Amino acid sequence: MFDIPDFIGWLLNPENWQGRYGVPNLIQEHFILTLSAIALATLIAMPIGIAIGHFNRGTALVVLLGSASRAIPTMGLLFALVMAFGVQLRELAVVIALVAIAFPPLLAGAYAGISAIEKHIPDSATAQGLTSWQLLRIVEIPLAMPAIIGGFRIAWIQVTSTVVLAPLVGLGGLGFGIIQGLALRNFDQVVASALLIVLVTVLGDQLLGFAQKNQAFRLGHLSGGKSK
Amino acid sequence: MKNNLKLGLAAIAVSTLGLAGCAQTSDAIVIGSQAYYSNEIVAEAYAQALEEAGYEVERNFSLGQRDVYVPAILEGEVDLFPEYTGNLLQYFNPDASETEASAVYDALTNALPEGLSALAMSPATDQDSYNVTQEFAAANNLSSITDLANLGSVTLGGAPELAERPYGPTGLLSVYGVSVEFLATGDTTVESLVAGDVDMANVYSADPRINQLGLVTLSDPEGLFLSSNLVPIASSALDQGARDAINAVSLAMSADDLVAMNVRSVEEQLSASQIAGDWLRSEGLIN
Amino acid sequence: MNWALNNLELVLQLTLTHLIVSLIPLAIGFVIAVLLARVTSNRFAPAITGSLGTLYAIPSLALFVTLPVILGTNFVGPTNVLIALTIYVVSAMFFSARDAFASLPKPTIEFAQAQGLSAIQRFFYVELPLATPGLIAGARVAAASTISMASIGAVVGVRNLGYLFLDGFQRKIADEVLTGLIAIFVIAIAIDLALWLLGRALTPWHRRVNV
Repeated sequence: MFDIPDFIGWLLNPENWQGRYGVPNLIQEHFILTLSAIALATLIAMPIGIAIGHFNRGTALVVLLGSASRAIPTMGLLFALVMAFGVQLRELAVVIALVAIAFPPLLAGAYAGISAIEKHIPDSATAQGLTSWQLLRIVEIPLAMPAIIGGFRIAWIQVTSTVVLAPLVGLGGLGFGIIQGLALRNFDQVVASALLIVLVTVLGDQLLGFAQKNQAFRLGHLSGGKSK
Repeated sequence: MKNNLKLGLAAIAVSTLGLAGCAQTSDAIVIGSQAYYSNEIVAEAYAQALEEAGYEVERNFSLGQRDVYVPAILEGEVDLFPEYTGNLLQYFNPDASETEASAVYDALTNALPEGLSALAMSPATDQDSYNVTQEFAAANNLSSITDLANLGSVTLGGAPELAERPYGPTGLLSVYGVSVEFLATGDTTVESLVAGDVDMANVYSADPRINQLGLVTLSDPEGLFLSSNLVPIASSALDQGARDAINAVSLAMSADDLVAMNVRSVEEQLSASQIAGDWLRSEGLIN
Repeated sequence: MNWALNNLELVLQLTLTHLIVSLIPLAIGFVIAVLLARVTSNRFAPAITGSLGTLYAIPSLALFVTLPVILGTNFVGPTNVLIALTIYVVSAMFFSARDAFASLPKPTIEFAQAQGLSAIQRFFYVELPLATPGLIAGARVAAASTISMASIGAVVGVRNLGYLFLDGFQRKIADEVLTGLIAIFVIAIAIDLALWLLGRALTPWHRRVNV
């Protein structure tokens, strides 16, 4: 017969909050992996995306990368890199896989943001005497923020979802509860872990969403045209 | 009115097809397997033997751990599953104390719930075992699990579910007084052991890498691990002819046969279907 | 790529299952998204976009194992994966579908209305054909994501190309994992091409204009 798993009971059990595989440690691991990957990817993707948008060269790269990256299965990439790097370097392999996954949306966001700025705005800014660097810093990047943050939202979702699979290569992260729970048929654990994952992911997405709207609202009247 | 009649006839036709489809597949023997390549080879061997004997077989492999498929068998979704006597006995009776092979088998047949039966046990074994590298064994003078008590805390690697198994960390502590720090290394267990990320690892005894990498299997004098032979678990849907075919396969498979097939899987990288087929042919069980 | 050649039958079998597990949600999700986008009034659109956006944010494995609780299905097996993937397709396509319908030329619609076409006739004979390019574009994006996401279903027992990743990793056969990656990539490209061709076939007037 069907009964709802007692995930609340699992969450209230203090044992599940202690130790190497207790919830706090898993959350910490999850965040470290996700945030370091996104940070690294940002360092690479932001300059490139902004440059492509600013100079309007190499746009084909963004389009191609965008559509191609959607077709790459994250689990396969994870396993392939861990096997290539060897188990001893598995953290590095996983981070690289995550960077590869975060890169396309961050790139696309930066490019979309910069390229969507109507020509007359940077033109009038340059006419007023702004240097290229000032133009970028004071005008283009702030106007591109909503799209850039949009890129972060997608990257956050993709990377977090992939970190859920990390236990399959011997790492931790919030996915551990699901993977171990499935094996033990402990569905209280499975559902509780799944809910935690959903909570963390959606929370991050919503926070970024607020930031996105905040930026768009603030600069809505400046962009001159419609803002989504 | 005419439209409604057509619709009604269509509905009847579709549901008849649906029911016919259901009836057809319920005649087939559904064979499941764990998400473990070795188990899949054995399941495939049973499948091909049954097909040779004229039965229709439906393969439903990689279902996961027994916690998932035991209910499936009880609900009639799966008819046959290759299992391991000791592990399965401990699943139903965590306090089981039998360790010797035939004692475990007898206890298992008693412990199985209504609707499940254990067919003939195979001489082939594949069980959990604790292993260390040769260097680690030499450096710390280890030959049995008891020797571990001399060391401080030891790191143990294995599948995530090992943390909750009776022969896992809790068992090591209560039976041997050995405290371990557990690391869920999953499918990276052997590599982690060799790399030194963990001191000790749970490696299945039929894993070819124990020999290949010169791993030392620690002996288990206190019987933490129950003897675990290959045994097919069947639902009541199987008739005598099917059971005979399956038993023939089980009894023909020696422990070395199983390891040899595992080696073929990992070294020659062949599919379970190919390996099982070749072995069955070499034993004269199929053509 | 010897491994792939030696195990061709298995790979083809898994590819077939993978296609079925990806295309069914794609088709059903497409229909739902299109209908939902069309009938949603402007008042409710932000709320629906928001909730669908939230659903899209949920990691696939987490959704695969949470649906059984809500829907009462088995934890293991294709049902959850099919439903979850359909939800993803709807979330992915809703916004682009709304966009596609919103950017239809008003005069054309009004003309059709004036001609006496009913709402349903307008939808099938005017709006849908005109919105096709936008809908196909959205479908192509959804298709690529769905095909690669379906592989995670292997973790809950769906026997598709994702199995090559799990088994390949277990046995440490790099070729097997690579085969899975390539196979999924190839299928994604093939479906993308098919959708593009379908789009062209359904909109012959676009081609005629350029002649």
